[in-house]
Amino acid sequence: MSTTTDAVALPRRIAVDAAPTSAIVRRRTSQVALHAAFIAACAATLFPLLWMVRTAFAPSHDVFRATLSLWPDNATLGNFAAAFRLHPVGTWFVNSVVVAGAITLGKLALAVPAGFAFSVLSFRGRDAAFALVVGTMTVPYVITLLPTYVAVASIGLYDTLTGVIVPAVGHCGFVVFFLRQAFKALPRELFEAARIDGAGPWRQMLTIALPNIWGAVAAMAVLSFLGAWNLYLWPHLILDATEHKTLSIGLKLFATTGEQGGEWGPLMATALLAALPVVLLYLVAQRQLVSAFATSGIR
Amino acid sequence: MMAAWRRLGASPWMFAGPAVAASIVFVWLPMASTLGLSFFDWSLLRQEATWRGLDHYRGTLANPDFHLALGNTGLYLAALIPLQVGIPLVLAFALVRVKAKTIGRLYRTALFAPSVLSFPVAAVVWLWLFNPTVGFLNTLGGSIGLAPQRWLSDPSLAIWSVIIVAFWKSFGLNLLIFLAALANVPTDVTEAARIDGTSAIRQAIDIELPLISPALFFALVTTIIVVLDEIVGAVDVLTEGGPYRTSSNLLYFLYERGFRHFQFGEAAAVAVLIAAIVASVTWAQFQFGERHVHYD
Repeated sequence: MSTTTDAVALPRRIAVDAAPTSAIVRRRTSQVALHAAFIAACAATLFPLLWMVRTAFAPSHDVFRATLSLWPDNATLGNFAAAFRLHPVGTWFVNSVVVAGAITLGKLALAVPAGFAFSVLSFRGRDAAFALVVGTMTVPYVITLLPTYVAVASIGLYDTLTGVIVPAVGHCGFVVFFLRQAFKALPRELFEAARIDGAGPWRQMLTIALPNIWGAVAAMAVLSFLGAWNLYLWPHLILDATEHKTLSIGLKLFATTGEQGGEWGPLMATALLAALPVVLLYLVAQRQLVSAFATSGIR
Repeated sequence: MMAAWRRLGASPWMFAGPAVAASIVFVWLPMASTLGLSFFDWSLLRQEATWRGLDHYRGTLANPDFHLALGNTGLYLAALIPLQVGIPLVLAFALVRVKAKTIGRLYRTALFAPSVLSFPVAAVVWLWLFNPTVGFLNTLGGSIGLAPQRWLSDPSLAIWSVIIVAFWKSFGLNLLIFLAALANVPTDVTEAARIDGTSAIRQAIDIELPLISPALFFALVTTIIVVLDEIVGAVDVLTEGGPYRTSSNLLYFLYERGFRHFQFGEAAAVAVLIAAIVASVTWAQFQFGERHVHYD
């Protein structure tokens, strides 16, 4: 073992002896170049968001003037007031919260017990049932769109938030898959001990398993909320009346009904309101989100 | 009686049943119904079906608008796959070489930020940047002497404007996927290469790239999903598929047939064709993956 370590360490010592300063200088300059490139890339990436925020706070005379200044003189909240006056933005916001919150809770309510059953419990037909649930991940959702729309319309849920929420909850394959992986990683002895103590499966799940996979549940909650907050085509098809819309589809209405030359300030204020919750959620729960994406990526 | 109830409550099917039922009701049944619907003429109002056999498929495949949508979808894929896989890959290789880890995390946070937005929000933000008279892009271009562009109403430009928005809004996801994969590359491998004097670029291509090929494969899938599915939110807000359908895609075509013209049978045939394309692309990727992806 020690010989291999020497063999690996030796060339390094030689390299350092041979060119001590130039190697360090080269490494420093390459770090500086890296930082310069990343600062430029980040600035370019964030710029459209900065421009949205700038416009959201700009007084109207400033918006109609072609400008390159990064921040308006006399920043104002007037665009927010104007947005609420022009469209039911507050209602759209509440609708978005209701839709995203309900879909998130619904998916977790289905996926936590299912993930638990598919990992900890054993029963006949388990593999087939698991395949049935996780197989939905491979189905492109466009192929479910028309019949689901017809079904929602024919039971009187057209133009209701319930009509948007219920079918969306059904697409929970990935959440089940992810939570099953988390439950599977728990040691079996944990449940054996509880079983001997006479705890039924529900108690095992709620008091033993869940507290140990809290991170995974949080990751799925954040991911589901983001996905539901950002839904477009499905609520666009189901919701019709202006005051029933969510922010995502309200924005489209807003963008297309403005007069020519448009109410850009109020529109950007509304876009900012639509972006803010998800950006904040992302900043707060970045670790969970990254872990969720990472698992989905390396699978 | 109580005991029977308790036994039922503790049955594994009480745990797994709801998710299984939801998958059947909201995914598998609708999928089968779409397939069935594609052989009929059917309208929501009359609710009576007439058998049409393969007519909708023949009609769709002969429809010039479908050809346009198919061609555009091909263009979206041809432009976005290299962009959305290549650029995040280079960024990820560079980001793991940033020595100051806290600053590196800040870069990651900034680069991923647009990816948490929805397509319509991203589209509205860019709608404003693209504005021909007072938008930022033409103002900036004008200040360095470029002619103003009609980003969204010039038939030869509109699809590229949508591509810019789609890239901006979704490259961060692939960046995260690559970073997560690179974090799993054992450090002794890269360390050994570094000590052997392998250049950073050779090290990235010869050592790290093969090790993260499953992630590459997955990034390809997310990109295809963006183009065939999510991009519709940007298309609808930015251009409504125009001008002259030059920025439409297959899903937008389905939306028009099904929900503007209410030709459900025809739209179902389009849905089946899209699903078939997705399935064959996934299958092709799987074949490719079997041969070239290193899973370990």
